[in-house]
Amino acid sequence: MCVPKRGVFAKLSNPKYVMVLATIGIFLVIYAAGAAAYGGKGFTSVRTFLNLFIDNAYIGVSAVGMTMVLIAGGIDLSVGAVAALTGMFIAYGNSVLGIDPFLCIAAALVVGVSLGLLMGAMIQYLNVPPFIATLTGMFLARGSTALISAESIGISHPAFDALAKWKVVLYAPSFENGFEWVKVKPTAFINFYVLLFVFMILLGTYLLQATRFGRNVYAIGGNEQSAKLMGLPVARTKVLVYGFNGLCSVLAGVAYTLYVKSGWCQSLSDMQLDVISSAVIGGTLLTGGVGYMFGTFCGVLLKSLIPALITFNGNLLSWWGKIATGALLLLFIVLQRVVVASSDKKKH
Amino acid sequence: MERIIRSKLTWAAVAELLILLVCLIIRPDFFSISYQPQNGVLYGSLIDILNRSAEITIIAMGMTLVIATGGTDLSVGASVAVAGALALRLMRWDIYAYPTPGDWSITPFPLVILASLVVCALMGAFNGFLVSRLKIQPIIATLILMVAGRGIAQIITTGKQFTILYSPYKFISQGSLLFLPAPIVIMAVVVAAVALFTRKTAFGLFVESVGVNPSASRVSGLNSKRVILLVYTLTAFLAGISGLIYSSRIMSNDSNNAGKDYELDAILAVVIGGTSMSGGKFNLAGTVMGSIIIRTIITFVYYFSIAAEATMAFKALIVAVVIVLQSEPVRARLAKRSQMRTAIRKGGDVRA
Repeated sequence: MCVPKRGVFAKLSNPKYVMVLATIGIFLVIYAAGAAAYGGKGFTSVRTFLNLFIDNAYIGVSAVGMTMVLIAGGIDLSVGAVAALTGMFIAYGNSVLGIDPFLCIAAALVVGVSLGLLMGAMIQYLNVPPFIATLTGMFLARGSTALISAESIGISHPAFDALAKWKVVLYAPSFENGFEWVKVKPTAFINFYVLLFVFMILLGTYLLQATRFGRNVYAIGGNEQSAKLMGLPVARTKVLVYGFNGLCSVLAGVAYTLYVKSGWCQSLSDMQLDVISSAVIGGTLLTGGVGYMFGTFCGVLLKSLIPALITFNGNLLSWWGKIATGALLLLFIVLQRVVVASSDKKKH
Repeated sequence: MERIIRSKLTWAAVAELLILLVCLIIRPDFFSISYQPQNGVLYGSLIDILNRSAEITIIAMGMTLVIATGGTDLSVGASVAVAGALALRLMRWDIYAYPTPGDWSITPFPLVILASLVVCALMGAFNGFLVSRLKIQPIIATLILMVAGRGIAQIITTGKQFTILYSPYKFISQGSLLFLPAPIVIMAVVVAAVALFTRKTAFGLFVESVGVNPSASRVSGLNSKRVILLVYTLTAFLAGISGLIYSSRIMSNDSNNAGKDYELDAILAVVIGGTSMSGGKFNLAGTVMGSIIIRTIITFVYYFSIAAEATMAFKALIVAVVIVLQSEPVRARLAKRSQMRTAIRKGGDVRA
């Protein structure tokens, strides 16, 4: 065994942090390239930057739960379907049945968390592979959404609309006519669901880094057998992780519904891909045991930078976005391999 | 008796028979098959189920082998889209000169088929390379092409949708061979070929041994990297065949919806058929049964004329029942109970 190196650099070169640093580095490189190419068109404005949050808040909220599931060594394919079900609950409940949308959200929370716990129990107690259990959950949620209504339903409710419209406009200090606070130009703001995204990232970080539950999650993902032998509550933790992810999926559905103000059974059909890719780009290992909420946060931003760039370019087919995302995934996965392989070598 | 209860194939078959029985009760003419002399082909719900299950069954043959090596291939749906897009693009290269589709193809037909399948096989080789050489987890390795593949398909057709009326291409899905719709015959050939290739040569054994323990297989002299590479290439190649059938059915390319969720259906078919997701032993007959179950559920739901997306809810319920019955703890308990019953009947020691 070699003596562990000390100092900031040694700490940062720890494989645990390398992936997150790589995500930040590549984000900065792509952002700089975008700024150089489209800076004149307003790519560098605060508004463009905040739009990355606004347009992807729902993916970010869901990615918090997904990161936890992935760290625990599982996977969850049902997130998009549960989010769509939430949207349908709100839309159908409010527009057709006339129920208060916040009651509908509460009902969706109960259903989403129960479905998550149920899938977790299937995985834990029946030894069903996570892929298959959550696939079944996805079919169930998506199918139920279509059973409720196959049509797209709009939502119009005063309190819900107010929440969707609610925003905080950013001000910056100006010294032109003495000191005063003026609105950032072009007007930049953050919405309720951006706050929700940031709050969930903070909550996820707290749960993972500062609680016993978080330590158990890392331990199970690292080696479930050892975790069991150490006497950790493996079964409870695993089931709870899927329950927490169900909660995140429902909140993601709420964020998305606030964003589009309608519910449709075919919406968000590829969300699980976006969410898993964001987590992977953010440095979460699919083998479990490694990952940070902050990495996922950066992953969501990095992944959302690509469509933004394509929009600013204006000539590229949006399909290049998918190919670029695939290329980014490839880059990060190969990087993960190299980092893991080199840290394995150091250990031996 | 225990063996029958323990066999996962039994439960799959029971499930299929139950669904068919319900169909028969609801629609007494469900099993009727009629012959249409002018087309030289048999008609009927059962034939239709087989016909429509062809795409998934063909992919699931490859998927069985991939899962038996302990992997998964999520990119097959994207391969389906790429095959259709490339075939249509090659046949309609002259779209700007002749905007109206007709009964011709600008590229020779064998070349169209060959090019589409080869490109798909290359996509599979890329997956296989990532999994076998770079040792990347299969789910994530194939996620790359799952995300990028549909983009590639769109780029091939520059985001457009082509249509065609070329009759040899139409034959792939709507022609008939031996009184049966062509997809059934193609499916039968693929199933037979994969079964012969894995069971009459040592390849099936290689696949299982890689799935049980890759390092042990390598140490015992088996080139496990090559086996994995081949399995992924084969799966994408089969997905290509499936993609040609699909695009021939609609005589067009649809990069957004072609092969949508096929990876999920194919994996489900394999798991319902009794092949374990953790690798090792595989069961091709079970996979065929699994694929037919999935198609039967869809046909069943169509008879109630419920929204297409709602099929998923029924699929989920039936799949959940099959999976729970197949799960290790439940099967162990069922087998134990039957063991005890046999013991009681024989008057033997119950505890034994």
